[in-house]
Amino acid sequence: MRALLAAVAVSLVPATVAAQANRWQRQVQEQLERVSPHARTTKTGVLNLEESEWFAVTLTAGVSYSIIGVCDNDCSSLQLVLATPDRNELVTDRRGENFPVVRFTPAETRDFRVKVVMDACLVSPCWYGVAVVERQ
Amino acid sequence: MARDLRRWVVATLVACGVVAFALLPPRGAAVTRAGLVFAIPQSTPARLRAQALAAEWRAADGAARLLDQRARARSVLSSPETRKLSVTVVLTGPQSIPREAVARVASAMDSSWAALGLGETKIGVLVVIDLAPGTTSGPAQEAPMYLEPDSTNRTTCVALVPGGLYWSRFILGTPGQERERPYFVEWLRASLGPCAFYATYGAPSKTVRRWLTVRQWDIGRFLSTENPVRRAWSSTDMLGDPRYGWYWERIYTFSPSTVACMAGRPAGCRALVLRGGGASDGAGRADSLPRIVRTEPRRWWQAQDLIPGERYLSDVARTVGRERFLGFWGSPLPVDTSLALALRKPVGEWTAEWQHRYTPRLRLGPAAPVTAYALAVTLGVLVLFGAALAAQRRQVR
Repeated sequence: MRALLAAVAVSLVPATVAAQANRWQRQVQEQLERVSPHARTTKTGVLNLEESEWFAVTLTAGVSYSIIGVCDNDCSSLQLVLATPDRNELVTDRRGENFPVVRFTPAETRDFRVKVVMDACLVSPCWYGVAVVERQ
Repeated sequence: MARDLRRWVVATLVACGVVAFALLPPRGAAVTRAGLVFAIPQSTPARLRAQALAAEWRAADGAARLLDQRARARSVLSSPETRKLSVTVVLTGPQSIPREAVARVASAMDSSWAALGLGETKIGVLVVIDLAPGTTSGPAQEAPMYLEPDSTNRTTCVALVPGGLYWSRFILGTPGQERERPYFVEWLRASLGPCAFYATYGAPSKTVRRWLTVRQWDIGRFLSTENPVRRAWSSTDMLGDPRYGWYWERIYTFSPSTVACMAGRPAGCRALVLRGGGASDGAGRADSLPRIVRTEPRRWWQAQDLIPGERYLSDVARTVGRERFLGFWGSPLPVDTSLALALRKPVGEWTAEWQHRYTPRLRLGPAAPVTAYALAVTLGVLVLFGAALAAQRRQVR
C-alpha cells in the first residue's frame, strides 16, 4: 500500500451545519412521511436518468397494498413496476408522473420484486422513495 | 524560320520559364520535420516503449488510488454530519502537513467553488492533492486523473491532482507566496476538470457521456461560469502570432478539419465537435465505458484538434444558459441533435463563430501571394512594351 504518512481531509461546510440528509433526500423523506405515515416498508435510493433499480418485498395473501413512489424536485417522471421474483410484470404505473402508485392484492403470501425507473430527471442523479402501504 | 519569329519564340519560352520558376511549388520533396522547431520531438523506439510502460504504470496506480480514496471518503461522507458536503479536499504527502496548510487550501477551494456558483450539489467532489509527488515508491502522477460517478457511487466524483513542486511549496507555506493565492484559486478550479461539470450540471445522459468518454473529455477540461468571461490563458496562446513562422509551423501540423474550422468552414468545425458522438462510437453501451478520465501529461495542447478545445463545453454552457445546457446534458438524443437544439443553430455554424473569437480566420484556397501578383503585372507590362516596340519598328512610314 502506498505510504501515506499524512492525509488530511478539508471540509468546506462549517462543522456547525449538521443535517440528517441533503436537500434532495429531505424532499423525498418529507413526501414519504406525508403520503404514507404508516408505511410498512420504505425504500429510498438514488438513480440517474434512464436507470432502474429492483428491490424485494414480501406481501401477505388477501391484503390490499398500495405501492407509492415519490422523488425529489428535479424528477418529473418515475415509473413503478411490481413483478414476480423471476421478473414477470404484474402491475405497472408508467403514466409518466412523479407520483406513481400501483395497487395489488396477492393471492398468496410470497416475495415480489419492485422495479423503480427514473424516467425524467433534470439534474441527475435524482433521489426517490418507495412506500408499501396496506390499504384499509 | 524568320529570325524575328525565332527571337519571339525564345522570348516566350524564357518568360514561361520565369513564371514557372516563380510560381510553381516544388514537387516530390520528402516531408522533413527538421525545420519544424516547435513540432513534437520524435523519440527513439526504445524510449517510446519505456514511456508507454511508465504511462501504463501511472494509469494503473492512479486508478487504484482514485478507487481507494473514494472508498475512504465514503465512510467520512456518509456520516450525518458531513452528508451535506459538496467538495472535500484531501492532502496526501510523505510528510506531516501543518494546520495552516489545511486552512490555506480550504479557503482557496471555497473561493473556487463559489466562483463556479456552487453550494450544495447533488454530486460531491473529492479532490486529492498529492503533495511532493515522486518521493514515494509509487510512480509520480504527471497530470490530473478523474473518477466519474458510477453505479456503486452515483454522488461522488474524485479528482487526483499532482501538486507539483510549485503548488506543494505554496500549500505547505513557503513564506512570501501569499500573492500567488489568486493563481492558486484558478489552479484549483482548473483541477476540478470533468468533476466541475458533474457538480454543476449533474450526471450527463448516456449519449453525452459516451461522446465525452470517447474524446477523453478534451472539450470539457475546464469550466468557467463567469459572464462575461475574462481573458484567461488558453491553448490559443501557445499558437503565437500569425506574423511569425512558428505560428504557421503549428498550423501545418493540424488536421484538415482543424484548419478548415480555423478558416471558418462549418463542415470542418462540425466534424471536430461531433467526433465520438456517432452511434457507432464508444463501442457499446455507455455503462461499459471506463469511468477513469486521464489527461495528457505533456504538451496536451499539441494533441488538440479543436482549438482551444479545453474551453468549448464551458463556452457552450455559458452561452446557452443553464436551462438549455441542462436540456442538452441530459438528452437521450444524438449529440448533434441535442447540441444544435441547445445552441439554436447548426453545430458547425456556431462552432465556426466560436472559433473566430479565439483565432484569426485563415485564408484557404488558391490565393497568390503579393509578390506573385507583382511579378505577373511586371511581365505583362514588359510584354505589352515589347509588342508596342515591335509594332513601332514594323510601321511603314
